[in-house]
Order: sequence, then structure tokens, then C-alpha cells
Amino acid sequence: MDNFEVRFSGSGGQGLILSAKFLAAALVAEGFDVAQSQSYEPVSRGGQSRADLVVSRGQAAFPLSTGLDYLLILHGVAAQSSGAVIGAKTLVMVDSELVPDPPKSDFTLLALPFTETARQLGNKRVANMVALSALVARSGMCPLDRIEEVIRTKTPPKFASLNLEAFAAGRELGTP
Amino acid sequence: MSNRMNMQGNQACAMGAIAAGCRFYAGYPITPSSEVAETMARELPKVGGTFIQMEDEIASMAAVVGASMGGAKAMTATSGPGFSLKQENLGYASGAEIPCVIINVMRGGPSTGMPTRPAQGDIMQARWGTHGDHPIIVLAPASVAECYSETIRAFDLTERLRVPVIVLVDEVIGHLVETVDVGALTPPAEVSRKLASGPADGFEPYAVTQDMVPPFPRPGDGYRSHTTGLTHLPSGFPTQNPAKAKAALSRTTDKLLHHADLIESVEASACDDAEIVIATIGISARAAAQAVTDLRASGIRAGLFRPRTLWPFPEAALKAATANARAVLVPEMNQGQLVLEVERLLGLNRVHRLNKIDGEAITPAEIVAKAQEVLA
Repeated sequence: MDNFEVRFSGSGGQGLILSAKFLAAALVAEGFDVAQSQSYEPVSRGGQSRADLVVSRGQAAFPLSTGLDYLLILHGVAAQSSGAVIGAKTLVMVDSELVPDPPKSDFTLLALPFTETARQLGNKRVANMVALSALVARSGMCPLDRIEEVIRTKTPPKFASLNLEAFAAGRELGTP
Repeated sequence: MSNRMNMQGNQACAMGAIAAGCRFYAGYPITPSSEVAETMARELPKVGGTFIQMEDEIASMAAVVGASMGGAKAMTATSGPGFSLKQENLGYASGAEIPCVIINVMRGGPSTGMPTRPAQGDIMQARWGTHGDHPIIVLAPASVAECYSETIRAFDLTERLRVPVIVLVDEVIGHLVETVDVGALTPPAEVSRKLASGPADGFEPYAVTQDMVPPFPRPGDGYRSHTTGLTHLPSGFPTQNPAKAKAALSRTTDKLLHHADLIESVEASACDDAEIVIATIGISARAAAQAVTDLRASGIRAGLFRPRTLWPFPEAALKAATANARAVLVPEMNQGQLVLEVERLLGLNRVHRLNKIDGEAITPAEIVAKAQEVLA
């Protein structure tokens, strides 16, 4: 796949933009061009937040998403906000605990326990890394060891082992 | 491959400024421009520069003007409401011909408005925000790479011409992260202002020179100099003499005409055979670029006109690019600002508007639909 679009959505403070940054770094290392944009509300946490990646070979003319291939929803507050950019081709992955009412249409919907998995690892805040890894494992959009390398090199040492545990758990969740 | 990295538009503005030799930044952070200040705070000290977070935007602009009068390449960054506060001192910089660069990252307004959402509502504020007849140059990048190269060009122009230069970015471009080949970015030309030289006796700080740009007396070089916001003579001292006041004001605005070739920069693509030309800036121009491809695929000959230098507006270039077009469409994220200039130049008959003020970017599909409607 040479062109595709990914969205990480949820509530502000869930680390969605960080997940997008990690994936963007991995994709660039794989030779893609990435345009990363985000939307958030004027509050320090909470509110809807999202980070989008438009992935292409060479620079995209229009850098914002118009038709998502992959949509991750980590919080119910964002459950219905991507309707205009999802369709039959979209793989929608939602947090089974925090998104009780996911969007339903003719796309593939997967509800997975990202937050519960993170909680079992000792910190529910790494749900973003669990979800990122599950998405990469499920989609095959980039090699898993590439994303692992990015997580290892870009995470502050204090959290590196936790994030790597989250990566392993997410890989397992996402592998078909 | 190793030079490829993901960089943010605001960050690219800051890195471009440092590459161009900027060594002084004073500002007051405001969404969506704050990453310019953050990057400057981190990077400027590494190159011996000075970063000051001031008490507000008025003081920030005053500090930038003062630093530049001291000889430093100086910059600030802001967004709509902060840009309004900078306007008074921006007028002083225009009148006293003090080089400076202002990055304005446009958000939804007026007032606090939608501070995290994009808009293009400062197109006219950038041109006419400060008072009086004044020269100003406004550059409008449409990508992260251009944030870098246009900020460098802003410093080149402000230093060479002693005119304040505004880099007008929208929230989408300012916050956008794109993959940039750092090795392929425009290298800075290291342009600095022309310094006063020769005998100190009889030196005139606002001398009328052939290029209309007076040599700058660097403090410490021994030149007696007087700088004022009052309309001034070549000596730097005030005048109310009608003929002399007119000559003094005219020189500051005429110098932009004199250097038009240096200032002007446009992208005109696929315009020669275009039945419809789409004229716009920033993120709206990125949507237009995709729309041109999509329209051509559907059999409609569309073209893109993008003034990289927004003000002074590239009048002749717009007329040339639209010479064969039946229609000209101006998509912009405001209630109609750029279109006023296009209508002034081309008349009302074939100019059409596409405006969006809901905090979302204009999409390629919206431009395609409007173009089809206009041509039907």
C-alpha cells in the first residue's frame, strides 16, 4: 500500500498525538512521506483529541485526511466524530471498555481491551502504546520491529520497559 | 534517506530563522504559534542568541524593534489577538525602517475565538493592521519545507530592504508535521543589512540612495544617528514640511516598487490552458493543488495560482495566470478577504468565492464541487 490514512482519536491526555508521532517516525524510516496533523480543544485534558497521518510515497498534495484506512477510537467522546471520513475500506478499532457505543456501518469493527490490558501492565496510561502496537500488528502497515525500535529509542528511560511491555501486549492483541 | 525527518511547521519557522542568522527572539506564547517560541527558547542559546519571554505582545514587539536597532536579526511570533497588540510597534518599525520578522499563525477569531482551530482571517490584518500608509511584506508558506525557506526569505528581505516582513501561516500549516529532506532545504544566503561606511561627518541615517534603502548605522561604529516615529528628514530629525514629508513617506513605500522583482514570488501551475484558475494561499492552496489534479482527471482544465508573496500582491502575475480563464475561484477560510484583491484586479464578473469559517480546513472535494458549479 503506497497511500493510506490513519487516525488516532479519543480524549485529550490519552497520548494520541504521541502514538501518531511514533508511527510517523517508523513509517518515515520505511521510506514513506508522512503528513501528521492534529485537532484538540482549548483544554489541558479531556475534550476530543485526534491525530491523523496521511501516508504517501512523495509529499501528499493535500496533507489532511479525506478517507481513513485505519481509525483508532480510544474514548467514547470521539466515537461518532469521524463519520465523514470513514467508509467500507476503513478498519475501525475501538477500546472495548471506554467506547461502549462504537460507530456501526459496513466497515470492519474490532473492539479490543486496550485500557484493560494497560491496567494489567500496571498503568492504564500506556493504553496508547497497546493500541498503536495492535494497529500495526493487525494492519501490517510497517514491520513490527520498526515500531518496537521507535518505542525503545523515543521513550524516556524511566518508561521504556513499560512501553515495551505495552508493545508486546498490543502486538498479541492485534495479531489476527 | 538519513536526512529525512518529520518536522513541524512552527518548528521549521524557528529553525529557518536561526539558519538565516536570527539571534534575538522576544515573544509571548499564544496558540497556535507557541512551538515557535518553544523551539527558539531551546535552540537560540545554543548559537549564542537571546530568547526573552516578555510580559505581553506589546513589549515583545518593542524588544524586537530595539534588538534590531542594536544590530541583531530579530523575530517574534504570535497569533491573531497578539498580532493586534504588536501592530503599534510594527508601525514604528515600518516608519523608522527597522528590520524585523513577525510570524503570525492564524487561528479562528476574532478575540479568543477558536484558538486551536485554523482560519485565514488575518489576510487583511497582515496588510493593513498597523496605522497609516506603510510598507509591509507578507509571505505565505503552504508546507513545512516552505515554513523554513520562507522564514529565511523573510530575513533576507527585511535585512536587505529595511521593511518589516510578516510570515503568515495558518494553524494547519503551523501545526502540520511533514517529512522534510533536510539536505534539500533551501540553504540560507546569509543576507545582512547594508551598514553605514565612510566618513562619520555629515552622515545621514535616512539618506536617499539609489536603491532607496538607507545604510544602517551600527551602534558603536561611530555614526551619529537619530531615530523617531515622527516623519523625518534624511538627517533623521522630524519634519512637517509638506514637500519633504511627502518625499520621506513616498520613499518608504516606493522602495517596494523599486525592488518588486526581489520581493515577488508566485506559484502558477497548469494556468496556461486553464478555464478555471484557483487562487489561494496556505492550507487552502494544498487543497486546491489536489483539486486541480482531480478536476483535470474529470476533464475540467483547472490551474492553481498561489501568491507565495501575498503582499505586495503580485498583480501582473495574477493577470497573466488568469488571462485565458473563464472563471477564477478564491477559496479561503474567512468571509472573503483575498477575494477582494482578486476582484479589484480582475473585476467582479468571473471571480467566485468559496468561504469557510467553521474551524475546519477547506477540502479538495469542496473546491472541486464549487468549480463544477461555477463552470456549469
